[in-house]
Amino acid sequence: GDGGNSVKAGGEIVAYKDVNDIPTSRELMIQVDQKREAVLLPVYGLLVPFHIATVKSVTSQQDGGHCYIRIIFNVPGAGFGANDLPTQKFPRSIFVKEVSFRSSDVRHATQVVQLIKTMRRHVAQRESERAERAT
Amino acid sequence: MATDSSLHQFGNILLGGRGGMNPGQLKIHPGGFVWKKTGGGKVVDVAKADITSLSWTRLPKGYQLGVKMRAGSNVKFSGFREQDVASLNPFLHANMGISPDEKPLAISGRNWGEAELEGNLLSFVVGGKQAFEVSISDVSQTQMMGKNDVVLEFHVDDTTGANEKDTLMELSFHVPSTNSTYVGDEERP
Repeated sequence: GDGGNSVKAGGEIVAYKDVNDIPTSRELMIQVDQKREAVLLPVYGLLVPFHIATVKSVTSQQDGGHCYIRIIFNVPGAGFGANDLPTQKFPRSIFVKEVSFRSSDVRHATQVVQLIKTMRRHVAQRESERAERAT
Repeated sequence: MATDSSLHQFGNILLGGRGGMNPGQLKIHPGGFVWKKTGGGKVVDVAKADITSLSWTRLPKGYQLGVKMRAGSNVKFSGFREQDVASLNPFLHANMGISPDEKPLAISGRNWGEAELEGNLLSFVVGGKQAFEVSISDVSQTQMMGKNDVVLEFHVDDTTGANEKDTLMELSFHVPSTNSTYVGDEERP
């Protein structure tokens, strides 16, 4: 099988099915779940999962003792291209487009950004190979 | 006055908020909730008369009790065990006349859904379930970017002393032109 692949045929995205599968940590911070191909973002005390297929890009910028992490998501007209399914299936939806975090730990921030980039590249490559095989 | 059946006390309950979670002690009595931060400081006192609804949300670890109040504000207490839920439900029903709703989390990882505003609370709902909630009272600035994007900037707050390493600073939503629900409403999400 496709191992951890969770982008189902037809563009349906499912990172987690059971809340117990979401990783926990004592300290709330951005986490990357490589197995589920998800990025977990701390919002008001909760770790909120976003599947890597929704992520368009991620950047970081250092400023003094802090590091700013910016994640841009796919939205209609940008990113959800060929199989623009969310827009077609859910025309009334609202999309999370961008989030910005300030991290107090520069090393952690740099590492997380690198992990997200690598995971994104990996999944994009796999999807394009699959599309090639399908034609 | 306080007998075992009229007071429930929990030693390690986390109060959720902008900066993450703060641990404290929660007392649930027939007249409401009192939460005190471990080591002193913040106290949250909720009177029964101010509560409009209660909800239980299953988290990766334990349960979260959401308390909605008349003024449009809300508090969230986390760290309950399954048996706490079972013992509190009849207590809350008997003493406050409220049966908490089940409020499951959206965990599919999708970035599209619906935005719902209730009181100070902006919820992002995916597939009918809550993905996350932010408090509008923590938003310092709202901007429209182009025709379709709404940007929320959050206050910088270093005083909460919570357990958060990465702090949400900005959140933006894309409202496609096909969505008519929020026309003319974007300036005050």
